[in-house]
Amino acid sequence: MNRESFLARESFIEKNARERVRALLDENTFRELLGPFDRLESPWLPKQQIVPQSDDGVVIARGSLGGTPVMIAAVESAFQGGSIGEVSGSKLACALELTLGECEKGNLVHPVLLLETGGVRLQEANLGLAVIAEIHAAIAALTRHVPVVGVVAGMVGCFGGMSLAAGLCSHLIMTRQGRLGMNGPEVIEQESGIEELDAKDHRLVWGVFGGEQRHRTNLADTLVDDDAGAFREVIRAAFQRGVPERPRSAQVERSLLLRQHSSPPPPLSPRPPSSEPARRPSRGQIWFTALTGVDGAQLRPGPGGSKSVWSTDAPLAGETARFIAVVPDRENRFPRAREGEVGLEQGWALAREVRDVLEADANGARRPIVAIVDVKSQAYGRTEELLGIHLACAAAVDAYARARMAGHPVMALIVGSAMSGAFLAHGYQANRILALDAAGVSVHAMSKAAAARVTRRTVEEVEALGDAIVPMSYSVNAYAQLGTLHRLIAGVNADAPSGEDVRRVSAELAGAVRDARGGARDLGNRLLSPEARTTRAASLEVRRRLGAQWTEG
Amino acid sequence: MEQLTFIYPAHDSVVARAHVGVVASGDLEVLLEPSSQQQSQVIVTTSVDGFGAVWKNVLDRFFSRFRGAVAIEINDFGATPGVVLLRLTQAAEASRS
Repeated sequence: MNRESFLARESFIEKNARERVRALLDENTFRELLGPFDRLESPWLPKQQIVPQSDDGVVIARGSLGGTPVMIAAVESAFQGGSIGEVSGSKLACALELTLGECEKGNLVHPVLLLETGGVRLQEANLGLAVIAEIHAAIAALTRHVPVVGVVAGMVGCFGGMSLAAGLCSHLIMTRQGRLGMNGPEVIEQESGIEELDAKDHRLVWGVFGGEQRHRTNLADTLVDDDAGAFREVIRAAFQRGVPERPRSAQVERSLLLRQHSSPPPPLSPRPPSSEPARRPSRGQIWFTALTGVDGAQLRPGPGGSKSVWSTDAPLAGETARFIAVVPDRENRFPRAREGEVGLEQGWALAREVRDVLEADANGARRPIVAIVDVKSQAYGRTEELLGIHLACAAAVDAYARARMAGHPVMALIVGSAMSGAFLAHGYQANRILALDAAGVSVHAMSKAAAARVTRRTVEEVEALGDAIVPMSYSVNAYAQLGTLHRLIAGVNADAPSGEDVRRVSAELAGAVRDARGGARDLGNRLLSPEARTTRAASLEVRRRLGAQWTEG
Repeated sequence: MEQLTFIYPAHDSVVARAHVGVVASGDLEVLLEPSSQQQSQVIVTTSVDGFGAVWKNVLDRFFSRFRGAVAIEINDFGATPGVVLLRLTQAAEASRS
C-alpha cells in the first residue's frame, strides 16, 4: 500500500462488527436477523454479575455481495473478547444451518464468517464448547455445497475452538494484523511458561500467529490490506473459486510435512524425566483394551511414528466397529503432547484413521466408530502453533463429521477427561455421546486453575460457581443436565472394569449405535432431550426466532 | 453490576429507534425506542456499582436538551460520563433520521 492508497483507504479493522458487515454488503441490502432490539442476551452473564449485550456480541445479516446472496456472521471482538457463549454461538450455528437448508434446496446462499474471537466464553464454559461443536458441524456440512469464506481481519484474532472453525473454512482471508491459532500467546505463556512463548514479544507472536506467516505457510489463502473495498474484492474472488476439490482440513497428506519437521526444537524448559517408574495406564488405555481385547501398545505406530493414537477394529454387538483412543506417549517427540493431549500428530492421526474407515466402507456397510475419550487438553506449545495445531484438530473434526454424515454411527465414550479443544477434535462430532458416571470423568472448556486465572477468580470461586451455574460445573452429572449426553452410565469401575462392566458398556454402545442409525445424521438430537429443553432454552429460542426471521422480508 | 431507573418528562414524539455502541471496556451500548407515553424512561445496567448520582447528573444534562418521548436501555461497561453523553447524543441523532 503506497501513501496515497493508504490515505484513501477505508479501514476495515477499525469498524465494529455491525459496521464491518455493512461495509461488505451491497448498498441497501443489509438485513439484520436477531438484532439488538430482539434482546436475546446471554442468560448466564447477569447471574455472574456481568453486564450482557443486547445481541450477545454476534451480528447476523442477509444481503448480497457483488450481487451474490450471502449470509454474513460477524463476532464483535470488543464485547467479552469476542467470546462464544450459548446465545452468540447458537446464532452462528443456526445461521449456518439455515444457510445449509437453502443450499440443500439448490438455492445457493454464500456464508461469510468474520471471526474475531478468543473462543469459548469461560463464563458459559460447557455450553460455549457445545455450541462451537455445532458451528463446526454446520461448516463441515456446508463446505460440500458452497465455499465457506472465513475472514480474520484483526485485531483480536481467531483462537480456541473457533480457530478450528477457521480451519474448516473453504477459503480463509487474513490481514497482516490478523492472528490465527488454537492457543493464544497468553494462554501458552500461562500454561507452558514464558520460556515456551513470551506473549509480550510481538515480533515473535506475529511471527507464529500472524496473517503473513499463515499465508506464507498456506494456512490462509489470501492476504489482504486493511481496506473495506479490498475485502469485498477478495471475498468475491473466493466465491468465484467455488467449492475446493478438497478443503484444507481434508488434506491429510499435509501431516506428512510433520515428518520433515522431524526434530521439533527441544523444550527450553526442562521437562520432568520420562524415565520415572511405570505409571498406571490411562483411562483411555484401560477402556481401549477392555473393549477391543487389543493391547494398543502392540499396535503398529501410525505413519508419523506416533504411538499416541490407538486404533483398531473389534466386534461390537455382532458387527465390526472401529475403536480410537488418544493415549499418553512419554517418548513423543513433541514434548507438549506426551500426557494424552491432542497435538499436531494426534489431530492428523485421528483424521487419518477416521478417513481410512470412510474410504474402506465407501461402497459397503458403514461400520460404527467409537471415540474413547480421555483427553486432558490440546497441546500448548509454540511449535504446535507454528505448524498449525488448529488445522490438525480441524482435520479431525472434519473427518469425524464427514463419517457421521456418510452414515457411520459415530460414538463418543467419555471415560476420563474431555477437555476443550481436545474434546472438540476427538468426540464432539459424534452422533451420540456416552459418559461413565465415575470420579475422574469430567467435561470442560479449560482446567480449573487456568479458568480461575483467566476469569480472575480463585479456584474455590470457580468450583462454587460450578454449583450455581450449570455450564460452568466440572462434574459429569451437571454436564448431563445440558442434554448433550445420550447416556450417563453409572455403577461401573472406571479404573478396573470387570467383565460385567465391559459387557454393560458394550451393550450401551450397541444400543446407541442402533439409535443413531435410526436418527438424523446431524447434531440436532442434542437439542431434543428434556434436559436441553430446560437448560438450553436460550439455544432453542435463538433457533425459533432466527428461523422465523430468516424468511421474512 | 447495578441496575438504575430514571424517569424524565417528555413532549416531542420520536420517529425511529436507534442502537449505538458496544458493551466494551470503557464503552456502552444505548438502545433508544420511541415511547407512546408522556415521559421518558431510562434503565441503566452498569458494571460499576455506586455511581447513581453521577448517572443522574449525566442524564439530567442530556434531558435538559432532549425532549423526545423514548424508552432507553443502557448496558454500560465502565464508560466515563463524557462517553455516556456522546453515545446518548449519537442515539438521539440517529433516531431523527
